[in-house]
This record gives sequence, C-alpha cells and structure tokens, in this order.
Amino acid sequence: MCARNSIYTTPKPCKHLADYKLRHGFNTYYSIRNCLKTTPNGRTRVAKHTTKIPRCSFCDRYQGRLYFCLMCSSLWCPTHILLHTQSEKGHEVAIDMDRSELYCCLCCDQVYDPDFDKVVVCNQVKDLPGGSKSKTNGFEACGERSSKRKRLDSGIGLDLKKSKLLVSMRDRRAKSCYPLGLRGLNNLGSTCFMNSVLQALLHAPPLRNYFLNDRHNSIQCRKRSGEKLCLLCDIDAISSAMFSGDRTPYTPAHFLYSWWQHSSNLASYEEQDAHEFFISVLDGIHETESKIRNSGKDDGDCQCIAHRAFSGLLRSDVTCISCGFTSTTYDPCVDISLNMDTSNLSSSNANKPIKPDEKTELRDSSKQLSIRRLPLVLCLHIKRVEHSLVRKISRKINQYMQFPFSLDMTPYLSSSIVRSKFGNRIFTFEYDNSNSSAAYEIFAVIAHSGMLESGHYVTYLRLKNQWYKCDDAWISEVDEGIVRASQCYMLFYVQKLLYNEAIEDSSFVHISPRRDPFDSTAGCS
Amino acid sequence: MTRKHSVNRPPTPDGAEDQGNEPILQEIINIKLIESGEKERLMEMLRERLIECGWKDEMKALCRAYVKKKGRNNVTVDDLVHLITPKGRASVPDSVKAELLQRIRSFLTSAAL
Repeated sequence: MCARNSIYTTPKPCKHLADYKLRHGFNTYYSIRNCLKTTPNGRTRVAKHTTKIPRCSFCDRYQGRLYFCLMCSSLWCPTHILLHTQSEKGHEVAIDMDRSELYCCLCCDQVYDPDFDKVVVCNQVKDLPGGSKSKTNGFEACGERSSKRKRLDSGIGLDLKKSKLLVSMRDRRAKSCYPLGLRGLNNLGSTCFMNSVLQALLHAPPLRNYFLNDRHNSIQCRKRSGEKLCLLCDIDAISSAMFSGDRTPYTPAHFLYSWWQHSSNLASYEEQDAHEFFISVLDGIHETESKIRNSGKDDGDCQCIAHRAFSGLLRSDVTCISCGFTSTTYDPCVDISLNMDTSNLSSSNANKPIKPDEKTELRDSSKQLSIRRLPLVLCLHIKRVEHSLVRKISRKINQYMQFPFSLDMTPYLSSSIVRSKFGNRIFTFEYDNSNSSAAYEIFAVIAHSGMLESGHYVTYLRLKNQWYKCDDAWISEVDEGIVRASQCYMLFYVQKLLYNEAIEDSSFVHISPRRDPFDSTAGCS
Repeated sequence: MTRKHSVNRPPTPDGAEDQGNEPILQEIINIKLIESGEKERLMEMLRERLIECGWKDEMKALCRAYVKKKGRNNVTVDDLVHLITPKGRASVPDSVKAELLQRIRSFLTSAAL
C-alpha cells in the first residue's frame, strides 16, 4: 500500500533499505510513531529521551546530527554510526533525530521510503492543532488515494460532432498572409485599452472556440430577450468579423456602446486601464449569461464562459506562529495580480515573475497564498503602478521584466505548498491534481508604453508559434525578441493541452449556416 | 629569581581525561538551554531568520548546483553538509548573530548563571 506520486519522482530505496523492509516491514516505523514530535512549522523530530540529553553512544557528543538506530534505539553521531552497523548485523537503518529522515548506515546517505513518510505525515496531521476539524485534513483515509479524478473535460474544445457545417477553409491565399482570425481594430478615441483586451480575449482558445462553435446564437438571443443589449452578442459579432477573412480593420462601435451601458462609470473618452476593462468585460459576460440562464450562481461553480475560462480558486492559509493553528479560506479569482519588486534589481530573479505566495507578517501570524484550482486560461496582471506616500503621487514602473513563454504552475499549487509544509514527504495529499495539467503556454501579451495617464496599449498574439503585434488597426509579424523586450502589463497563458489543440485545428473553421462560408477573401492576394 | 612562565601555566589539558570530569561552562549553559526547552525555541527562531534573509535559498542553490555537477546518484548528505558548512557559517548575517546572542544573554540572566 504505497502512496503513489505522479508529479514528483519517488527515489528508489537502496538495497539495504529494501532488505530491511522485507525483514521487518513497518513494525519499527510504527514503534517510533509515538516518539515523533511536530513543531508548528511542520518539522518533525524524534524525541524519545525526555529527561536525558541525547548523546552519541561512543563519543558522548550531543551537538550536530544524531542518528537513532531503528533496531536497538541506540544513538550515534555520523562519525561513529558505522561502527555500530559493523558490530551489529542487521542494524543498517537509522533515523535522523532532528529531521525524521531515514539514513542507511551502509550507503552513508539519506534514503526515502513512502511508507515511512506516510507514518510521519499521519503523525504530523494528528498533532496539528484543531487537527480533526481543520480543512487541511482530508486524511481520514490516510494514504488512500482519492477516488475523485478531475478530468480535463471542459467541454469547450472544438466540437467536431455538433457543428452544423464543417468547412475546411484551406488557406488559398499566399503564404505571406496571416492566419485566420487576425484582424485590426480601429481606435475610437483612446480605446486602445479596449482593443488590446479584445484581441487577447478573442484569441483565448476557450472563448475563441465558444464563439466559433456558435455557442451564443444572436438570433435566438434576440428572440429571447427582445431588443435589450447583450454584451455576448456584441462580442460574438466582433468574433465573426475577426474570423470572416476580411482583413480591413474592424470598428467595434456597437460593443463599445454596449459596454458603456454596462459600466457607465467608465464611459468616457479618457484612456482607461486595460486590466480594469478586462475585469469589467468578464463581469459583463457573467451577468449577461446569468440573466439568460436565470441562475445566480456564485463565481465558484459558475458555468458562464467567462468563468469557465478564467476562474480559478485561491487558497489562503493564515498560521499562528506560536501554536501552529491554521485557518484556511478559499476565494475564487479570475486573474492574479503581481507586484513588481522595484528594489530587487538582481538578475537572479529576472526569470521568475514575482509570485503571490508571499508570506506577510500580521502580528503573530503568517499568511500563505497558493492556488487550489488552476483556471483554463491564466491571466497575470503586472502592477506597474507605484504609489509614493511621501510625495503623494503615483507613477508607473517602467522596469523591464522577463517572463517565460512556457509556465509550470506546479510550485504554486496548494498541493505543492501543503506538501512542503509537511517537509516534502512522499505522500499523496488529497489535493494532488496530478492528472490535470499545470503546464501553460503563453498566447497573448498586453504591453503598455508611455506614462500612467497617457500611454498606449498593444497586444502581441502568438499564433502557430509566430508572434503578431496588434496595434489598433495595424497588424504586423514580429520577432519573439520584440515581445520579450516589451513592457508587459498583462500576460495570458492557456493550459498546454488546449494550446496544442488550438494550433493543430486552426485550419478548420466551424461555420454556422447563417454565415456565408464563401465570403470573398479580401485583403491578401 | 623570577619563576619561569612555563611553571605557572596550568597543566596541558588532556582531551580524554577532561571529558566527564568537570563540565566546562559552555557545556553547562548548553545543558541548561536544552533542559529548559530554550534551545529548541532558539533553533526555531534561527531557522525562521535564516529563511527570511534568503540564507536557506542560497544554500539550497549551492546544493543544487553541486548535485547537478556530480549527478544525482553520486551525492550523499554528508557531501552536501561538508560543502555548505564553511560557506554557510560565513554567510550568516550579523543581525541574526546579534539577535541570537541577545536571546542567550537574557536567558542567562534569567537562569541566574
């Protein structure tokens, strides 16, 4: 009964440990179970001698590492433990008292055994304050694998069976032409914030597929709701226009009007913040769909396309430093905002975006953020505003920030954080989402240039491994170096599986009967 | 006649003989720290400080680089300990040392040693 671990590779036991286990099984593991003591920060040590100070049986040393022989409970320092193994046959495995790690005296090295780790973890869990009630404890079936398997079945993939008309629109145009779906958007007066976000949204695989599969049918929608404004219908209109094959820049006037109705506080010709717009659009989509379905479901399990694509779950653990009690809360989120570290100019952190797994000290507690459930599309928002309390002004941080094109979110998952809290034991915790992917690929970058009040947004889109710059009405092919050198403001990543799907199937377009599939392909020749 | 300095020197300490005879002050302090549980608390505090200031990450990076160079299966825990002990000891920030010293001092005054 071994706890299997798919993301993390389990080290193989050495020959001596394997032999030892054959002979003695788990007996010795269980016998020291009662001697294991846990500290609030998750460290476990062996504390057998409550009165005496543990010392090496040979040299009386009590400082540094001490090993506890699993067979005879004698104590040895690293220098002299070999003597013990040589004199007593079968006493090959010991345990590091301070760290509760197995040590093979013949290999002279630490060894690992999932069964041992299981015993340690179960003990740690038992020792946690509020143990049986706390949410971190799904361990009633300690070690038994959770039968719940979350399948990556979003139902948002390109639906080959249900499409009404499947037309293979082979690219009859010259190879210098851009892929389908790339089309400029006219600026209607400082609306680059809107254009840039629209470009990113419409090319997010789940949303792209949603509209291409005609999941929001305007005709039916108008029949249902009368002449009321529908944000989804407007986005659908833009999507059809983008994928129609027409390359002349499109004017999203109707959408702008609809959005102004929805977010009247932002309705002006002033330059707006792209991130604020992004949140407001997602909110608008959610409201629209809720009205249609008449469901007022909370963001957590909402089935509207905005939440299905972007919604994730953040976990926050607040731990009291003194006693170790942890309070856990879950909050849904549609994006993650990251602070730029202006003080850190060293290159060592240049390859990592600064992550929200911060530890903030609030009196006697520490807070740890992690991601419980990853969204299909991950949006990272880089906070480039710096507020100076002294001068009472805000200014933009122009600092260049490196970001990866492929992102592995495993270290930021709750399962990883929980694991490290228990000392990185080889153990399957309840939340191991080893079957769902934590690998992401970038597909859009919204970059900002200029100052806080007057700047310009552009979007870089990655289609079939080629980057394109969408600067309002102007689309151009660019080198990946340009993208890396831009001042990134919002980064859009999609789960790798969806990304691969998207680049494979982009030669096929699903067209609904109301659209003429043989639109003249104006533009490129 | 002035006595030779060598006569007035205390006898050369014999390692094996001294052990187990009279414990030196350092040992007494250490034992007191452990018995009262203060040592454990100090260790906890030290671990926290060393994580906060990035020392642990530095040591981790050193170990990773070494393992990468030698190969995962050719490295033992002892190798890593010998690798990072000198560098580790040298790079503990002064503020951490000062705090630890302060704590030990206050313990000593409270334990009336």
